Amino acid sequence: MQQGEGTSEVVLEARGLVKDYARARAVDGVDLLVHTGERVALLGPNGAGKTTTLLMVLGVISPDEGWVEISGRRLARDRSRAAEEIGFAAGYLPLAERLRVREYLKLYGQLYGLRDPRPEITAGLERFGIPHLGDAMGTELSSGQRTLVGIVRATLHHPRLLVLDEPTASLDPDVALRVRTGLRELSDDEGTALLVTSHDMAEVERLCDRVVFVAAGRIVASGSPKDVAATYGRGDLEGVFLHLAAERLAAQPHAVPAPDPDRGA
Amino acid sequence: MVADTLGTSWLRIRAIANRHAYVLARSPHRLFDVTLWPLVDVLLFGSIATFVNSGQATTGAKAAGYLLAGIVLWHVVYQSQIAVSTGFLEETWSRNLLNLMVTPIREWEYVAGVALFGMLKLAIGIGVMVIGALLFFSFDASTLGFGIVPIAAVLLLVGWSISLFVIGIVLRWGSGAEALAWGVMFVVMPLSGIFYPVSALPAFLQPVALALPTTHAFAALRTLVDGGGLDWTQLGIATVSALILAALSVWFLVRMLSLFRRRGYVTRYS
Repeated sequence: MQQGEGTSEVVLEARGLVKDYARARAVDGVDLLVHTGERVALLGPNGAGKTTTLLMVLGVISPDEGWVEISGRRLARDRSRAAEEIGFAAGYLPLAERLRVREYLKLYGQLYGLRDPRPEITAGLERFGIPHLGDAMGTELSSGQRTLVGIVRATLHHPRLLVLDEPTASLDPDVALRVRTGLRELSDDEGTALLVTSHDMAEVERLCDRVVFVAAGRIVASGSPKDVAATYGRGDLEGVFLHLAAERLAAQPHAVPAPDPDRGA
Repeated sequence: MVADTLGTSWLRIRAIANRHAYVLARSPHRLFDVTLWPLVDVLLFGSIATFVNSGQATTGAKAAGYLLAGIVLWHVVYQSQIAVSTGFLEETWSRNLLNLMVTPIREWEYVAGVALFGMLKLAIGIGVMVIGALLFFSFDASTLGFGIVPIAAVLLLVGWSISLFVIGIVLRWGSGAEALAWGVMFVVMPLSGIFYPVSALPAFLQPVALALPTTHAFAALRTLVDGGGLDWTQLGIATVSALILAALSVWFLVRMLSLFRRRGYVTRYS
């Protein structure tokens, strides 16, 4: 598959990822290459295999075939060291209950090896415009605020790769803008590479410099948002998305069932 | 600043222990598990002991000692098991498992963190029971001597081992299996001969009972209560079988975790 090529250091390299669930092949030979400071979106319709791919990149799901390296460390052999280089946040994940925001962030800072994470906590809360939430209980936050805190948590240890699953799914435009600005700053200032999934194509166009479209577990397009749109003869990424979704429906009129982990591989 | 490797492990272990300390501090009803219920057990078994004791000076006193020492040490198994099991279940209840699994924490560091916090709960629970037994029934656990320490250590290891089995089962079969966290102890308890020798069990259950490390640990405890000193034979059997159980439980947990990753079961909790 065509991937982003460049002279900068490779942060994420995944080759030949395959994942089968009981009723469907979720991921079918995906290759990914992400360099320092790159902002890459992994796009595709529901059930395309995006989240499964991300979870394999994070080492939470093991691939049936293929391998993942984070900054040259093979996940299957050295998961803990590789995980030190990654941050992960998802719009749908709650905060741990019965903890104040600073306590929660301290917990995760320490899990990432920071002896005294207080400076990083303060800087992170300020970067994303929520310094006033430090003493709030996790249960007192709105879903948007929880997402912001989740992103702060994911960036405390200055990861080289930040993986974000639907980071702005529950955010209003103002907060979404704050998230995009913060992420762009992080990427520019620290060279953090971003790997993002989103269903908001306009947001992806604003944030990412490369997109990878996945359909039925395979990469079907990769390049800059403009190039990919042009390849499909569409004006923007939303047009490409709708085109791919329509193609998928035409190919499988009864739709592919969603992977059912309970049924096992 | 990123800490060195050993320091980092200790940092993570402490972080997990602190996380559960916050949960306990902010959920006062959970203190019942380590204060009220152990005290209720002391009252229940102490009262039975008092009843049995009436009018039978020698046999009665011995039975009272079995009951009270037995229930106190049973709580070592129970509390250590429940602390680690529910510590893990807490992550599933709060849908925190995925967040944890993407961090660099190693599995043993997580278990050590929960177990460390469990030790604190255990110390509170046993302290409450020992004081309760002394105040309500004049049963002084310190008269049993230091022999009780290795017996308690074996029981602690058994409690942790059972909790690893429970976590493995929950990883494999999901939250539906979490009732085991509590239920499994009610199966182990009668089979372990906590208050009576194995010969008191129905014959067909006796081989099962003899295979349990807890049975031998409690047999050693009864010898101690009888004033016979530490029964090294029973303690040795208990230690070896507890180590075998620990090895099996670690093996089982590693297998279930591997299956959990292979089948993508994490999506149950996200």
